[in-house]
Amino acid sequence: MTIEAATPLLTTWATDTAQPEPGRLDAVVPRENLLAAVQSLVDARWGYLAAITGLDQGVEAGMFEVLYHFCSEAAVVTLRVPVPRDDARVPSVYAIIPSVSFYERELMEMFGIEVEGTPNSDRLFLPDDWPAGVYPLRKDFEMKDAGADHAG
Amino acid sequence: MNNPLENTWQSVMDQLKTWARINSPWAIHFNSGSCNGCDIEILATLTPRYDMERFGVKLQGSPRHADILICTGPVTRQARERLIRIYEQMPEPKFVVAVGSCALTGGAFQGCYNVMGGIDQVIPVDAYIPGCPPRPEAIIDGLVKLLGSLKADGALEQASEPPLVASVLEPSS
Amino acid sequence: MQVPIMPAKNEKFIIPIGPQHPALKEPGHFEFSVDGEVVTGASLRLGYVHRGIEKGTEGRNWVQTLYLLERICGICSHVHATAYCLGVERLAGVEAPPRAQAIRSLVAELERIHSHLLWLGVAAHEAGFDMLFMHSWRDREIVMNLLEGLTGNRVNYSANVLGGVKCDIDARQTDAILAGLEHLEDRTRHYLTVVTSDVMFLRRTRGIGVMNKDVAEKLGVVGPTARASGVARDVRLNAPYAAYDRYPVELITATAGDLEARFIVRVQELFETYRVIRAILADLPEGELTVRMPRRIKEGETISRVEAPRGELFYFIKSNGSDTAERVKVRTPTLPNMASVLTLAVGHQLADMPMILAGIDPCFSCNDRMIVVRDPAGRGAHWTWDDLREYGIEYYR
Repeated sequence: MTIEAATPLLTTWATDTAQPEPGRLDAVVPRENLLAAVQSLVDARWGYLAAITGLDQGVEAGMFEVLYHFCSEAAVVTLRVPVPRDDARVPSVYAIIPSVSFYERELMEMFGIEVEGTPNSDRLFLPDDWPAGVYPLRKDFEMKDAGADHAG
Repeated sequence: MNNPLENTWQSVMDQLKTWARINSPWAIHFNSGSCNGCDIEILATLTPRYDMERFGVKLQGSPRHADILICTGPVTRQARERLIRIYEQMPEPKFVVAVGSCALTGGAFQGCYNVMGGIDQVIPVDAYIPGCPPRPEAIIDGLVKLLGSLKADGALEQASEPPLVASVLEPSS
Repeated sequence: MQVPIMPAKNEKFIIPIGPQHPALKEPGHFEFSVDGEVVTGASLRLGYVHRGIEKGTEGRNWVQTLYLLERICGICSHVHATAYCLGVERLAGVEAPPRAQAIRSLVAELERIHSHLLWLGVAAHEAGFDMLFMHSWRDREIVMNLLEGLTGNRVNYSANVLGGVKCDIDARQTDAILAGLEHLEDRTRHYLTVVTSDVMFLRRTRGIGVMNKDVAEKLGVVGPTARASGVARDVRLNAPYAAYDRYPVELITATAGDLEARFIVRVQELFETYRVIRAILADLPEGELTVRMPRRIKEGETISRVEAPRGELFYFIKSNGSDTAERVKVRTPTLPNMASVLTLAVGHQLADMPMILAGIDPCFSCNDRMIVVRDPAGRGAHWTWDDLREYGIEYYR
């Protein structure tokens, strides 16, 4: 399916859309609309969820972004969900896409963004003895926070 | 009892054991978080083209029966404890071979947050085989060199000749 | 009910992949709940090979990052490098020359051969077919030689540079590749016969691990695993990159969606790969191997998708105008496929687990774990991967 087919599915839920590259549609979706936007794509059988990317805009900007990438043939639709650093949570899409658990676990442990309602909050990649509250992919992560006697 | 005959017998037994170990060492392989490049080349040494077993090195699964620990990977945090425990479970004398750049120094992953930075950051290493990954010939060569050096130190009288290193260095057909 | 206890292991051929530590009790990476022989639940903890690569890209310049990303996986190093280079080139607004793109596709297809043959051997080993393992790895040496002749290394070929490729191909190498393919094609015909007609093999694959098309589509399964369920997903076709518009690939699918189908699809993909390589060699464009790349890449975001041997590899790359990436996100194909397998596991025999996992061709890093098997009362027994593999082999004897 095409970008053109995706656009009408998202107009109700997105506050902004853009086409940054041919074949790509970015839609800014506030987190309260995330489930509805995802449901809309899934109901229309528009593509599949290929990945979830977390972005840290930096301590000063005070914002994260969570990107949900859906692929259909050559087209990629990305739902961009802004998340404030001091209220870092998004709803889980597990009820709609049961295979999303790994992606949500990764997001949680790497960015410290709580994914509300996800069935499994265990770490996926980080070791059991990784210190709590230390999120490696945040821009303010420092090696010394990781503890352990790293030779590095 | 400290009988001189006992001592002689003990030293003969020791030499027999060393001879047996060197001519037929049992190895265990451990991946401490590598990309698997080195591991598949180690695996290739078991396959018909390289056939490491003709040099007497037998790969098996238990640390308690192993003379040699063949290690790959930069040692991730998760792997560190296991690596130490495997090493501790191996009986003396034991030897550790680090295979690949990551096992030597952390390789391309130096400085990454989940990486210790090489096998010798965690346990003592006896032989280093560089490469990214080292080819099967290099792995075999390294192992044979290690065995050869054990012979030189080991002071055996009636050792059979070590496997011909030359045949390892010949270009494979 | 008792958790099935492993009998004492006798010395058999061991594949040295991953930590072999039968004596060590660890929190399970795979956890299977069983009721008698049947799996009632499955969960997974990864992380053994987690090195912190995505963070690593933030401290390396664009060129250094290439060498880092190549080493995410020793089996499919080239597709990682290709995905990255294509993405960064797009951000920089440049295109690698046609000859370079063709060579990228050529190396990618050679890599697919080595990867599928490697998988065939390992999957055979999981089923107890060690002869097939030895044969397929012996044949794999043919393509290892070809890759080495072309790029200078057997593994981690480093053919890609930002802006193109660093290795060229001459008539001698072309002849060697064509000769090698002939031999491989012959051997592959034999493998196809084995996976479709060997009775013992079929007992472990036919009708097992069935995933229907709808489920595969919804769960986001990719690669040969998806195609074996009739899903038309192949990035080379859906969204051609490098030289795949010039040398189109034919879609290989099956409908049964069982393990046998996954074997057949990969073996048939080998034939298609041989054909594509011949097509590339017959029509290689002349010209440069590289185009100039700026040191600083202008601000922007891009998505780069390529078809690794295991399925779609997804890269999201963000630049901030400097000589260092702002963010590189890598989603490997094994992750969504592994998720599907865990869903599939429920209702199957524990003895089928090794083959069902082998069927998705998991990157090895995912295949060397401790297993915990729990009975309905929650008591757990620790197994190694080898224990599970042996259990499967014994069960089907």
